[in-house]
This record gives sequence, structure tokens and C-alpha cells, in this order.
Amino acid sequence: MTAATFSHVLSQKEVVICVGAGGVGKTTISAALALRGSLMRRRSLVCTIDPAKRLANSLGLESLGNTETEINPSQLAQADLPTHGHLFAMMLDMKRSWDEFIEQNVPAGKRERILQNRFYQSLSTALAGSQEYIAMEKLWQLRNKSTYGLIVLDTPPTSHAIDFFDAPNRLLDFLDNDFARVALAPAMAAGKIGLKLFNFGSSYLTKALANVAGTETLEELANFLFSIESLNEKFRNRAKQTRDMLASPSTAFVLVTAPGRERLDEAEKFHRLLIENQMKPTAIVVNRVHPPLPKMLWEMAKEQAEPVRSKLSATLTENNILAKQDAAGVDIIKSFAGTTPVIQIPRFPLDVHDLKSLWHTSQYLLGEKTIVS
Amino acid sequence: MKTSLSQQRLLIVTGKGGVGKSSVSAALALASALKNQRTLFCEINTEERISQFLGKSEVGEEITQLEENLWGVNLRPAQAMREYALMRLKLEFLYKLVFENPLVRNFLRFIPSLSELVMLGKLLYHVKETQKDGSPRFHRVIMDAPATGHAISFLRVPQVILETVPPGPMAKEARWMRDLLIAPDMTAAVLVTLPEEMPVNETLDLAKVLRDEVQVQPGAVILNGTIAPRFTHAEVQSLPAPLANLAENHLERALLTETSLQRLDTLGLDLLTIPRIFSQDFDRKVVESMAEHLAPLLGDLP
Repeated sequence: MTAATFSHVLSQKEVVICVGAGGVGKTTISAALALRGSLMRRRSLVCTIDPAKRLANSLGLESLGNTETEINPSQLAQADLPTHGHLFAMMLDMKRSWDEFIEQNVPAGKRERILQNRFYQSLSTALAGSQEYIAMEKLWQLRNKSTYGLIVLDTPPTSHAIDFFDAPNRLLDFLDNDFARVALAPAMAAGKIGLKLFNFGSSYLTKALANVAGTETLEELANFLFSIESLNEKFRNRAKQTRDMLASPSTAFVLVTAPGRERLDEAEKFHRLLIENQMKPTAIVVNRVHPPLPKMLWEMAKEQAEPVRSKLSATLTENNILAKQDAAGVDIIKSFAGTTPVIQIPRFPLDVHDLKSLWHTSQYLLGEKTIVS
Repeated sequence: MKTSLSQQRLLIVTGKGGVGKSSVSAALALASALKNQRTLFCEINTEERISQFLGKSEVGEEITQLEENLWGVNLRPAQAMREYALMRLKLEFLYKLVFENPLVRNFLRFIPSLSELVMLGKLLYHVKETQKDGSPRFHRVIMDAPATGHAISFLRVPQVILETVPPGPMAKEARWMRDLLIAPDMTAAVLVTLPEEMPVNETLDLAKVLRDEVQVQPGAVILNGTIAPRFTHAEVQSLPAPLANLAENHLERALLTETSLQRLDTLGLDLLTIPRIFSQDFDRKVVESMAEHLAPLLGDLP
């Protein structure tokens, strides 16, 4: 029942999370889903982390910010689309989101010490995993505001499937890390900057670490940990809440991939991982599939005069190769998909970057159109 | 054709996901090896591709010779960390005691970008590595870097560390790495893109960010998958509907190639094209033909 898959998702679920490798069109699929959600009279928000401004472009917006912007109904009207829905979009700004998080959760007197700490600055901008952590935090906040009936999250492209699910745990692992506690305990208890933090006679571990990372680095890290210690409880609670949100029956996962062979290993891993984590995807969307061309085109081409006949024949042959390659890719995807529906979106002649093209994409997602093989 | 990348010892190949970055960088490595230049091809903690492309058995974490003048390695954080730690601690048993302690391993993950730093460190070490006679072990190191956003963070790691950690061993490491990355006679970025609007937009942005913020000099742009014009407008119009669509799509793709070239040309960098390859299998032959297109970029040894 692939045709019904997404109409069910868009009418019943509250959170839809699109996952997949970079460059497969996740942002487009996310926006197309939110567009259709909005037309089903649910206030819909698409939230992207992609700084490449693709989403803004395809929604006819100049730019997107860290707060939600409603798509002007006149934009929808211009694309000949119904205007009764409420569609919102935003682009997550990591640094801003982290700062807001600190502002909301740390008493005024203690904020500056965190915001100024160099480890905080790299945590909020550069540390691997912090993007995913804050994305989850933001998603949780947005959902709790209850402003939206449907939130579609376009996840950051991860170079490894595991990163996305592992990342929020990294922070918690660290906060729960007994080694950090033991080695850094004197510092955290004293809570004063400038104190000699390490008793290097005491531990070969700290000694060796200091040799690799530097004493001052470890000291500053200890200071940072001390200053965010009051947040530990918060982090832990939130991690549990986001885990619950991900596991909730009102959350759906959609795995987006391309049919190219180089994408398939990654897609298979992702699919397995989602299932292992009790986040079985609602569907695998195979984006940019070259559909096979109708046989009659070859017959028609033969009736043309040269040189057009040869040109057409070359074009048809090329298309045929691409369609065969993609069909082979889709077969492999179906073979590991098990009971997960596989939905194909054709490659459109030109890039998808306006509302009209998002609409075309969504028609395939909803099963109103299908690729005929 | 200028050969502006003939002297740089490190070529960093990057681009948006899905543009064929891995195959282009593998082809670039092959082109370099075919010019009798000892070439090391580095992948960064990823599904290994080079061995597939060239039809060889898997390379793994150790530098492995793939064929004449061509070596490959897939950098992994754990392995790179081990090599780095051993360099500083000297003692294997101490390394095992400390770094293989699961608690410590967890802790180290939190030191900002330490795993990226050690991988980058290993790679840059090989850029500078010499043989007994003083000649470089590799004439050229080609890095199949992560996709755009990740590549920027990856390449900025030494700079971020310099800004984050106080003076000490990490900062010292970060400094020489940063200096090597931003030296235009040593390092150049090669940007791979497709003849489509969004990938071209992203490439224009990427070149600017690399130049102005990361300060890694962009050296060349490779437009992968170009479509040569085939149909004229008049031909399209003379055809019956379904064939006209087919021909028109082709015509539009060819025009898009043309516009992409014009827009990329504004960067003032070497601009190479690789025609779209239609082949049932993506095998060595395809990589070889891509390498032929890339050869002019590399020049000969001085």
C-alpha cells in the first residue's frame, strides 16, 4: 500500500524525520512533504540544517533564519497551488540555538562564564555531534510549543549513518564519564579558575593525557565542565525526552536515497540502523530515478530523417543505460527494504527549486503519480 | 591550459555530496601516477572507494601500494590517534594502558576535534615525509575530502584548535598543520561540481569560503558530467510531441552545461570538464577515461 503511506503519515504523524546521505535531495523531499502536510490543513513546518540555502530557494524565500517564517500565500498562488494551508520554514543556526539553550537554562550570573569559555565556543560551532544534539533539542522545543500540527526535520548530512543517532549520546557519555569525574574531580569541587587542577603525581592516566593534549587544555576543559555541571541534569532529561520523542508512535522516519550504486551501501546501513534503533522507516524514498522511456519512442525515432534520427537514437540509448542502472539500484533497495515501502521519484528534467517542482515531487510521494517500469 | 597545480604537494578534492567527488579524486590520483609522480590517495574515515574504482583489493588503514606510483590509505581516527599518541608517549604499553582504556577513549572524544586533528596530522605528515636521500616519499598527496560543509569544518580544525586550546602540544601540532594548509605553493583545493544550478551555486560559495575564511587556496574547478549540445532549436520544434520533449530535455541540459561553465569561469580558476559518461558499469575503464581529461591539470615534474 505504498500509495497510502504518505497520506497516512502526513495526516497522522506529528514529527517526520528525513534521514540519508548528503546530496540525495533530502531537503527537497522534506519540503515537499511539509507542503502537502500544509495542504491537508495541518500547520506544517519544515526545518532544515542545510546552510546551502536550497530550501529557501525552493520555497521562493530570500533566506531562512533561526525562527520560523511563513511562506506567503501569494507565492503559492503564483505557482497555481491552493492557498488554504499554512506552511512555515526555518533553518537551524547552531550557534544561536546553543546560545538560546544556555540563556534559557543557566541563571544570569553564571551565563557569561560559559559563553566566554573557549570550549563552549567550539562546542557550539565546531564540535562533531553538537549539531545533531542541538537539532534534537530544537525539534523537541518546536514540538512542545504545539504551534504546528506537523514538523518535518531535514537532518544534517552525515558522512556516517551512525553519527546522527550517536551524536547526542556523545555529550551524555561524556557527562557520565567516570574518568572525567575522577581525574577532574578536584577541579570541579574547588570550582575556581586558576587553581592548580591536577595532581600529576597521582595518576599515570592524567600524566599521559597531559603529555598528549597539554596540561592547560585539560585544566580549561575541567573549568568548562565545572561551569556546565548545573546543566547535566537538564542534558540528561532532555536526552531522555528526545529519545522518547523519537520512539513515539507520532514520529515517523523517512529514509531518502538516490538509486546510484555508490549510495546503496550507505542506504542499506541506514535502514538496518533505523530498524535496530526501533525507528523503522515509514518508507524509503528513492530520489532522482531515470524512468524507462516508452518503447514507441524508438519506433517514432526511426521515422525521422537524418541527422535527427541518429541524434534521437543516441539520446534514447543514453537514457536507456541510465534507466537500467537506476532500475538495478531500485531492485537492490527493494531487496533489503523488507516490508518498508519503496517510493520512487523521477529525475526531473531540471533541478527542483521552486514550489511548482516541489508539488510535482509530492505527487510521486503521495502516489498520485508513479514511475511506470 | 595552464598547469597551475603542478607544484602543490597536497590536493584537497571536495564538492557537494553526489557530484562524483570520489570518482573524480580517484581519477586525479590515477592521472598523477600515470605521469610517473609518486602519488598517495587518502580517503578520510569512509567507505573505501579507490580499490573498487581501480579493481584492486581493499587498502585499509595502512599505506598500501595499488599500482606503479600509486598508493592508497583510508584514514581512521583510532589508528591516527594511536600513531600520534605513540609519537608523543614513545611507549606502546603506556599507549595501551591509557588510550585503550574505554573511559579515556570516551573522554578524548570530547576534546574538540581531536580525532580530526590526528587524521589531518597523519595526512600532512605524509605530505612532508622524505626518503633517505631527502627526496619526498610522495610527490603528491590527493585527499578525497568530505563533502562541502564537513570539508570546511575539517580543514578549519587546526585553526579552531589554535583558537580553542591554550599553548601546549595540541596547539603546536595545530600550528604547523595550519601553516601547511594555507601555503598556496603547497596546498590547493580542487572543487568538483555538476552542470546544475544548485551545485554551481554551492561551488561559488565554497570557493569564497575556502579563500576568505579557511584560507586554503582553491586551485581548480572540475565540472563533472557535462552534456555537449546535440539538437538545435529548429530540430526540437520539428519533432512530434514525445520526441520533442526528449530532444528539448537534452537541449536544456546542454544549455545548463554552458551556463554553468560561464558562471564557474567567473572564479578565475582553472576549469576542466569531464563529459557525462554513459556506461552500464562504473569500472576502471571509466576512471581511466576521466583521468585523461584531468591530466592537463597536473603538469610534469619540475
